[in-house]
Amino acid sequence: MSVKSGYFRRHLHVDLSKGVAERRTLEEAFLEKYIGGRGFGAKLVWDNLRRLGFTIDPLGPENILVVAAGPLTGTYLPSSGKNSFVSISPATGLYGDSSMGGGFGTELRQTGIDVLSIEGKAPQLSVLFIDNGETTILPMPELQGRNCLEAEGLIKQRLGTHAVHIATIGLGGENMVRFACVNADWSRNAGRAGMGAIMGAKNLKAIVVRGHADLPVYDLPGLIAEADQAFKYMQEHKYFKLWQQQGLMNVIDYANEKGILPAYNFKDSVFARHDQINATTMVDQYKIGDSACFGCPMCCGNICLVKSGKYAGTVVEGPEYETCAMLGSNLGLDNFAAILSATRLCDELGVDTISTGNIVAATIEGYEKGIVSLSDLDGEEIAWGDEDAILGLIQKIASREGVGDILADGSRRIIQEWPEMDKVILQVKGLEQSAYDSRPSISMGLAYATSDIGAHHTRAWTVAKEMEEGQNWTDDEKVDIVIYHQTVRPLFDMLGVCRLPWIELGLSEQHYANFYKYVTGNEVPLDDLLGLSNDIYDLTRLINCRLGMNHKDDRLPYKVWANPPLTGPNAGRVIDQEDFRKLLSLYRKRRGWDENGVPPAQVAEKFSD
Amino acid sequence: MSRKLTVIPEQCSGCRICELVCATRHFGVNNPKKAAIRILTTYPQPVVRMPIVCSQCKVPACAQVCPTDSLRWLDGVVRLDKEYCTSCYKCVEACPFGAIYIHEDYDLPIKCDMCGGDPECVRKCPTGALRLIPEAALGEARRLNNVLSYTQMKEIEFFEKGEKKVIRYAEVGKEEL
Repeated sequence: MSVKSGYFRRHLHVDLSKGVAERRTLEEAFLEKYIGGRGFGAKLVWDNLRRLGFTIDPLGPENILVVAAGPLTGTYLPSSGKNSFVSISPATGLYGDSSMGGGFGTELRQTGIDVLSIEGKAPQLSVLFIDNGETTILPMPELQGRNCLEAEGLIKQRLGTHAVHIATIGLGGENMVRFACVNADWSRNAGRAGMGAIMGAKNLKAIVVRGHADLPVYDLPGLIAEADQAFKYMQEHKYFKLWQQQGLMNVIDYANEKGILPAYNFKDSVFARHDQINATTMVDQYKIGDSACFGCPMCCGNICLVKSGKYAGTVVEGPEYETCAMLGSNLGLDNFAAILSATRLCDELGVDTISTGNIVAATIEGYEKGIVSLSDLDGEEIAWGDEDAILGLIQKIASREGVGDILADGSRRIIQEWPEMDKVILQVKGLEQSAYDSRPSISMGLAYATSDIGAHHTRAWTVAKEMEEGQNWTDDEKVDIVIYHQTVRPLFDMLGVCRLPWIELGLSEQHYANFYKYVTGNEVPLDDLLGLSNDIYDLTRLINCRLGMNHKDDRLPYKVWANPPLTGPNAGRVIDQEDFRKLLSLYRKRRGWDENGVPPAQVAEKFSD
Repeated sequence: MSRKLTVIPEQCSGCRICELVCATRHFGVNNPKKAAIRILTTYPQPVVRMPIVCSQCKVPACAQVCPTDSLRWLDGVVRLDKEYCTSCYKCVEACPFGAIYIHEDYDLPIKCDMCGGDPECVRKCPTGALRLIPEAALGEARRLNNVLSYTQMKEIEFFEKGEKKVIRYAEVGKEEL
């Protein structure tokens, strides 16, 4: 079988240094093998690295930023509004990607391209405007220092239209904060791995897209029939309404009950005042509307408004679970209005809420422990739940003022500056950990340790299953589930769709193989698609190995094996280092990697095309 | 009695499923830009997600400006006579809601035809923001909301089966005659 439709077969490559854009044709073999999204990104990044001999400065002009949707993005099926940003991450120096929802990916595809890659550095702050078939680089130095929301408004004003989609960076990206994000449609973020800093390093303030093209679908009636079944299945699910009403915020109560909710920089895994920052509080007092990505019936986004008090007038889309935990309980903050304010601030500045929450929390703990002194903090005290100091520090990070200049470089620099902070901050490979405590779940520990972008939960999210039914799992079962997740979950990023209908409402994986078949005309069994996804996992691993990742970088953060949570159902529990080493060794064996975690030579051959 | 396609923007999530189903049904292509309904989102000031679709006005502004009389209201739908339309797009500019659309692939303007009485977008809207209701029921929800939020009401607290409740009421005036 072969790919008959589903793609424009167009790759737009922009060199900002030379100010030129070039349209290239994508070969069928490329489409079949790499599918889209993260797959296209990994391959283009790999090709660029081979050209450079694997020497690269992530923030140098030689690094490329790939923006890619998948063949299913924007098509008639549930939750099809995702696209990926892929590059070499300035946080880890290794492979990095981050996906975003909203309407940007659909609009990008409607301009008639499947993948966009950007290299070089514009001579002054610029905006890339892809208007159907035309590409222009517009210098807009007047946007300097503008926050993401202001920039989006100003660009629309300047172009004289509201009917465009804009991915922009804020002060965080401009200042190359190593965990800066890309913000689109005002409040959808490609949050992790510092993709915003890459744009900042390229003097690229925003990417604007406007497209009218039909999205190619091989068998539209077939797709509609399959999708209508999927929509119906989702809407009849017993938790569907809950997802519409609460979105990911419903996880706060769950995580607290299970003892995996970070509190006080992961000193604890329950938060006594969790009921002040949970979904009920949000729905009763703050929520004013739903928000959905393109084509999504679940509308997990919540639009919140603070109606009274100090933060009155704050509007924000969110927070979702990660943000609420990292900027809430993890900072000892129990005022939901202040969490909304911090979330809005992060959206405006364009910094990742997960990394920011980790770094601010670690700073508070470092100060408490005397590792970071008052003069290090420019004489400004900070403590758990101190709203003003927390908001002030976030601002200082984005603008690189005082201590913010060090914190903005992420956990690697922080550890260089204060070596004792290695015991305080939770990170893997330089990326700060997501908001699921792994101490009661060794499979989650393994997932963070072996994730290609660092301690992020999207590659494998096994914690819930292990907590619920995995207390007697064998090592084989633990490794299996991590590899299974690492194989399935990235496939969604390649196809350009959201994984929530699958993971949360149980929409079967087979639906996605069918969607792929109807869109591309390429009939590939699900297992083969998963095989392609697994190949990309090998590829990103290979990229990391070639970039000098040490086998010791597949590690657990110090606290995970040394400091148990103080209270809650998992009080006293840590991951045993020896158990972890055994599990890691088994994992590498099962993946076919050697003892040092390096894929064998035949893996590299697969990608020599 | 004809039924009206009604929009409740407070319930719209901005997912654009309506755009997708409209375009696939009418043009047989996967292209939300070919829909006769679009969602306009503004944020953060004001925060609105507004589906914009033809209101099927009985005195249509679009028809009034049509030089060839190609737009006519009939049985609850403003219909476009494709044979006489000259694609001058005066209707697009005249519609007070901006609810008639254009796409470069077609000469004819794109406007809602109510799918023959059972609009696909209403059937597929996952949040209930699009509804088909009898004309006579238009405004009912607003009327009720308005009454419920009437600010001059008084209230008292009372207990029913041990549970505290509040009753609100508008008291009759006691001015001297």
